[in-house]
This record gives sequence, structure tokens and C-alpha cells, in this order.
Amino acid sequence: MKTESSAGTVPPSSDGPNGGMARGSARRLEPRSLVRPGVIAVLVLCYLLFIPSIFRLYYVDAWTQVTIYSIVTLGLGVLVGRVGMVSLGQGAVLAMGAWVAARLLFATGLPFPIVLLAAGLITMVLGTLVGLPALRMSGLYLALITLMLAGAITLVLQNINFPNGGHGFTGYNGASVHIPPIRRPSIATTDPAFFRYSVVAAIVMFLLVLVHLRGKPGRAWAAIRQSESAALAGGINTTLYKLWAFALASFITGVAGGLVAGSYRYLNSLTFTTQDSITLLAVVLMGGAYSMTGAVVAAILLKFLQALLNDWGVSPDWLTILFGIGVLQVLTTAPRGIVEQMPKDLARLWRLLRRLGGRPAAAREQAQ
Amino acid sequence: MPSTTDLEQFLITGLSLGGVYALSGVGMVVLYRATGVLNLSFGAVGAMGALIAWQLINHSGFGFWPAALVAVLFGGVITLVYGMVFGPALAHRDPLVKATATLGLTLILLGVMDLLWPSSGGASRSLTVPTDANTFQLGQISVTYTNVIALALGLVITLATAAFLRFTKLGTAMRAIANDRDITASLGVPVRRVTAAAWFGCGVLSGIAGVLLADLVALDPTTLTFLVIFTLAATLIARLRSIVITFFAALVIGVVDAELTPVTSLSNYRDMTPFVLAAIALLVLNRRRVITVGRQGV
Repeated sequence: MKTESSAGTVPPSSDGPNGGMARGSARRLEPRSLVRPGVIAVLVLCYLLFIPSIFRLYYVDAWTQVTIYSIVTLGLGVLVGRVGMVSLGQGAVLAMGAWVAARLLFATGLPFPIVLLAAGLITMVLGTLVGLPALRMSGLYLALITLMLAGAITLVLQNINFPNGGHGFTGYNGASVHIPPIRRPSIATTDPAFFRYSVVAAIVMFLLVLVHLRGKPGRAWAAIRQSESAALAGGINTTLYKLWAFALASFITGVAGGLVAGSYRYLNSLTFTTQDSITLLAVVLMGGAYSMTGAVVAAILLKFLQALLNDWGVSPDWLTILFGIGVLQVLTTAPRGIVEQMPKDLARLWRLLRRLGGRPAAAREQAQ
Repeated sequence: MPSTTDLEQFLITGLSLGGVYALSGVGMVVLYRATGVLNLSFGAVGAMGALIAWQLINHSGFGFWPAALVAVLFGGVITLVYGMVFGPALAHRDPLVKATATLGLTLILLGVMDLLWPSSGGASRSLTVPTDANTFQLGQISVTYTNVIALALGLVITLATAAFLRFTKLGTAMRAIANDRDITASLGVPVRRVTAAAWFGCGVLSGIAGVLLADLVALDPTTLTFLVIFTLAATLIARLRSIVITFFAALVIGVVDAELTPVTSLSNYRDMTPFVLAAIALLVLNRRRVITVGRQGV
């Protein structure tokens, strides 16, 4: 972790021993620097185009969830991996975004993207306001206050309920018999279409975060993660940039909340629990909080595995246990998560296999 | 406006819950000072202990007290094992990392509890402390001995822990480790053994709290696991330092939460009390502190 003081502008995963040179060449746009973005673009395009035709509807739904939750894990990844702030309340922030979006979708005829934007902005303001007391303090306090916040928000949402087409501020009608579904964008009413819609929204969110990481905020966050006192001494307004990170994470999580509302179509207070916030942190740590790929891996762990186990009839509790073990394993032996651990393990396995295969040959040579 | 009898009755509830939060808070603060670990799995360990006690009573014919003893020992042992395995591995990491790791244990326990004692099926479990049946009148309100035990345990454990830390050799060693782990080790204090005692003590307290809260609140894994939030608020108000402040903060949180029950407009929102009180405390206490980074990591 200590070696990346200058790595704020490039994802740590691509940051080799000559990270500085890589950045220099990126400016001149040499062909090599375009390989990585190109490959990613092609992969995303394939994902966008082919998933609905390869998988049956059940799994298309699962991939929609993966896509949406990758935005959430990205937001938490920025907080945990880039700034070093652990939030235990992102699940609650997501619920907040979903509530706001559902309310707006029932109350107004605004286009869906506008609703997403509004949900993001409102969530950003709310999330930042309630996180404010802890932002000036050390990380442990932020984690604790956000955990309490998650409990408090879950409680409020349980009481006011999710909008179901009623009137008034809460938009909840307890006596409603025919609950109308939450509106989807007119170009994406079917599940495959909504999948593609979510992917496009996710791409926009990932690019938004990328712009931040490559720019001034990214460098400030890297400095804060290294040492807050040093960052302060270096003239960085640490409170502002921590607030900024919190606001960015809340914004994209709010947008994701809007997508959740659109994909589920019916929301109730059981949809979101306090435990979700903890599970979210667990998968973010397991996936790898230091890279954007880690966010995708985290979302796959969270939502695709869930769908898979559900399909196989295995209790989701096993997944909870797996996440618990995963957190302990990641924190003790592999702080960078699966994204970095997997290639290393594969390389180690490969070396082992080669040694095993090579030993008899070497022994024969010695015998001659 | 609720009647005075109501307020007095809920004062009793609040004080007994506050007593349990207080003894939980003391366990968490002592462990935090001795090892730097904020044990967020406190609630989950207690919940599992309570469920084991329920299992023993209802399916193995145990009496309440032996079953409760098993629950308490379970809490102590599982916390001790966690501390011995993951404590040294994470000893030199940030307090935040150590606290996050305990969430791993929390998730494992939550999963196991849901597997072994599934909540679906509509059958709700309950764990009743026998002293619930013994009541006495205090003015117009009736008090059970469980209420008395809860508050008394909170008080006794707070005082006993304070005396233990002040006067015994082990307690002094714990305070020394809290001050500087490396220097204490070089002075010949068996750091591993002393921290093991802290882990075990914290676990025992989580078992006690689990059984009491299962009786006073509900025997439900998720509810009991997240009741740790009430305790956290109390320890946070005490800035994770003073067990006396933790005690009083826990009582205030318990009482405010209970007293809001008869207030119709706030009744449903009363469980936001820990968040609101802790947020206010953090804002007020930190007004003059610009930044809290330092070697101790607070």
C-alpha cells in the first residue's frame, strides 16, 4: 500500500515498477497505451450485446443486478480503496436512492435519465449531510457512524414504506390493492432492454469515476490515503476532498438506487436490510478495493453467485458464510482482493505444475 | 401526552436495557484498549449463544441456568479463538482493519445462525429468564427481578472492571498494553496471555448480554446482532476510552429509547436514538478538535 504514493492517476493494478513512465507514454498516446482501454471497450460491448441472447431470462436478470450493483461496489471501492474511508452504510444509501427514484417516477412524468440524475443528486445531498459529523474524524469513527446510519435509515424506510402509487409525501397507500409497477424508461420496458439500459448507465458512472481518479481529486485522495497529516501539511484541504469522495460515492449509489427501482419494479421495506451494507463491504474487500475491475468482481460475487445458488436450490446463507470467510482471508493474507490474488495464485500454480513436470526430466539429465 | 405511570414503567425497561448496553460497552472498551480491536461481532456472538441456550432448553432438556452458562462459555470461547487466530495476524494493522475483520466473524455467525435456526416458518422463538416470574411493586409499577439483574449486572461489571484495571496485576498489564504494546512486551509482560484474557472476558460479556437481550428484546439473530449499534453509540460517546462514561451513556441511550415508546409521533422512530445521540456527541465533543489523526489512531 505504501508504494503507491504517486499512483493516484493510474489504477494500481496497472502500476508496474515503471508506473511513472507508463503515465508519460499515455500522454503521447502510443499504440500500447490504447491496448488496455481497447480490450475493455470490446469486452463491455460484447457484454452489452450478447448477454441477453446467451442466457435465459432468469440469468439476464441476474446480470442486470450485477451491472447495477457494480456501480454501488465502485462507489464503496472509491471510498475504501482510494481514500481509505470505510462506510458501513452504502446499502442504506442505495435504499435511499431507490426510494427517491420510485417517488419521483410515481409523482412525475419526467424522463428516466432525469429521474436517475435527480435521485443521484438528492441522495448525494442527504448522504453527505448525515455523514458530515464523522468526516473530520479518523476512519474508525466514520465506519461506526455509518453503521448506525444504516440502522437508522433502514428504520425510517420501514416506517414510511416505499412508494406504491399513493399520494402525499411518502407516496405509500397501505390500502392499495392493485399496486402499479414502478415505471421503466419507454425504450427499455422489457428485461433484456433494461439490461442494456443499465449497462449504458453503468458505463457513464464508471467513466465519471475514472475522470475523478485521473484528475486532481484522485491525486488528493491518494495523498490522504497515504497519510492524512502529510496531505494536510502538503496543502490539501482534506475535509473537502473526503467530503467530495463521499458525495461522489453517494451520487453514483443514488443513481444505482434508481436503476434498482426500475429493475425490481416493486419495492418494499424488506428489499433492503442493514446486513446488506456489511455484505457490500465484504464483497468489495474480496473483489479488490484498489481497482475498478475489483468493483465488477465484487458485483459478480454478490449478485451472480446469489442467482446461481438460488437456481441450484442452495441456501443463500452459505454465501453469507463465504463472504465472512472471504473478509477474514482478504484482510489477513491478500489485502488487494481477488483481482490481484487470482493471477498470482495462477502463476504460482503454473510454476508448481512446471516444476512437477520438469523434475523427472532434470533428474534424467543428472543421471546421464 | 403519556401518563406518569407509563413513563415510570418505561424508565424501568430503559434502565434494564441500559444496564445490558453498559456491560456490553465495558467489554468492548476494555478489549479495544487492550488489543486495538473494536469487536463488532459482539452482538452476533451473543445472539448465537442465546440460540444455543434456546436449543438446549427446548430440545435437550437443560434447565435455564446450565443452558445460560453454556451460552456464556460459548461466547467466551469463540471470541477467544477468534482473538488467538486473527489477533496476532492483524496486530500491527490499523484499528479500522481490525474492526472490519470482526465483521467477517459477524457474517459467518449470521449465516450459520440462519442455516441452523431458520426464521421462516412463522414459529417465533423466545428465551425466558426464570426471574421474569418474580416481580415486586415499586409504587404503582411492577418490576421483575430480571430488570434488577440487568441493571445491577451493568453497574457491578462496570465497577468491578474499573477496580480490576486499577488494582490487579493483570489489569495493570492491560492498561500498559493499551498504552504501548511494544514497550510493554519488552518489559516482560506476557502480551499474548494478557490479550487472551481480554478476549475471553469480552466474549463472556457478549454471552451474558446475548441471553439478557434475548429475554428483554427478542430472540432473533438479526435483531440481536444489530443491537450492538446501541452499545457502539455508548462507547463512541465515551470516545472508546472511559468505561464510566460508557456506563452512563449506555443508561441514557437505554432510557431515552424506552421513554419514547409511549410518545405516539416518535414511537416508531425511537430506535434512531443511538445514531442521533452519538452524532450529536461527536459534533459537540469534536468542535475544537480540527483533525484527529495521530499515532494512536484514536
